[in-house]
Amino acid sequence: MSGEGVAVTVTVNGREQATGPGETVESLLEHLGLGAQFALVERNGEPVERARYGETRLEDGDRLVVARPVAGG
Amino acid sequence: MDDPLVIAGRELRSRLITGTGKYGSPEAMRDAVIASGCELVTVAVGRIDLDHVDEAITDYLPEGVSLLPNTAGSASAEEAVRIARLARAGGLPDWIKLEVIPDPRYLLPDPVGTLEAAERLVDEGFTVLPYVLPDPVLQKRLESVGCAAVMPLASPIGSGRGLKLRHAIEIMVEQAEVPVIVDAGLGAPSHAAECLELGADAVLVNTAIARADDPAAMAHAFRLAVEAGRAARLAGLIEERETAEPSSPLGGLAARS
Repeated sequence: MSGEGVAVTVTVNGREQATGPGETVESLLEHLGLGAQFALVERNGEPVERARYGETRLEDGDRLVVARPVAGG
Repeated sequence: MDDPLVIAGRELRSRLITGTGKYGSPEAMRDAVIASGCELVTVAVGRIDLDHVDEAITDYLPEGVSLLPNTAGSASAEEAVRIARLARAGGLPDWIKLEVIPDPRYLLPDPVGTLEAAERLVDEGFTVLPYVLPDPVLQKRLESVGCAAVMPLASPIGSGRGLKLRHAIEIMVEQAEVPVIVDAGLGAPSHAAECLELGADAVLVNTAIARADDPAAMAHAFRLAVEAGRAARLAGLIEERETAEPSSPLGGLAARS
C-alpha cells in the first residue's frame, strides 16, 4: 500500500513528520533543513550508511534518530 | 617522527588529547584545541534538536585534528555499541572511546559492560579505546580482546583532583602492551606531567582546560606539561631516598676537627 501518492508519516527524534512518497533519508534531511549538517541517521534501530542516504526510502511508521557530533570529553 | 605515540599503528606527535565539552563558546574550544597542539579530540554523539539547529561543533575544529567519538550517555554495553555503529555508519572514524557509565554521581565506568562492549566492537572492526577504572586485571582482559589502548581515570570526571589512583596506574604502565592514556580527573598541568613521568603514554584533558579562566592559555600550559613529563620519563628520574644526599661538599672551608 506504499504506492504513489500515499502519504508517509515517520517519526524523527520522537516527533511525527509527514513526508511525500519516495522520500529518502537524504531528501528528508534536506526538508528538515539539515542538508548542510554532518548528520548520523538511525532507522528503526539500525544505523544507515552515509553512502546509502540517497537510496534509503522511508516507509510509513519508520522511526528515525538523527544525530551528529556534539561537544564532549 | 621522534618518540611518537603509536595507537593501532597510527603515529601521533602529541601526547595530549583534549575533549570538546564544557567550553563557554565554540570559539574558545577552537582556540584551546589549537593551543594544545593536540591531533585528536573527543566528541560525543547527540540527537539534533530539530527546533534549534545551531552550528555544529565540527565546524569549529581546526584542520588536521581527528575526531575520537565517544559513547557518552551509554549506561550499558548495548547502548555503547549502538552509538559506535551509528557514528561509523554516518561517516565518523571507526576509532571509538568506549565509555559505559551507569553511575551519574561519580561517573565511574562499568567494567563488565565495558569489556562486553569492547569485545563486540573489536569484532566489528572498531579501534577501541575503553575508559576504565585503573584496574590492571581488567587492562589485561581488554588487551586480550584487542583494544588499541586503555584509558584509566586519575580521579572522577571533572573533579580536578589529580592522580588519586596512582599506584594502580603504575602497575598498568608496568605491564602495558597497548598505550595507557590517563583520562579524567586531571585538574592541573602538574597532574598531567606526573602521569607522563610515571610512564603513561598520553593524557586526555577536558574540564581543566575548558573551565579555566583562559582556556587557550591553559591548553598551552598542559601542552608544555605533557612535553616536560614525557621528556623527564625518557631522561630517567632518580630514585627517591629517605635521607639527604648533599649536592655540595659538606666540608666547606671550616675545619671541623
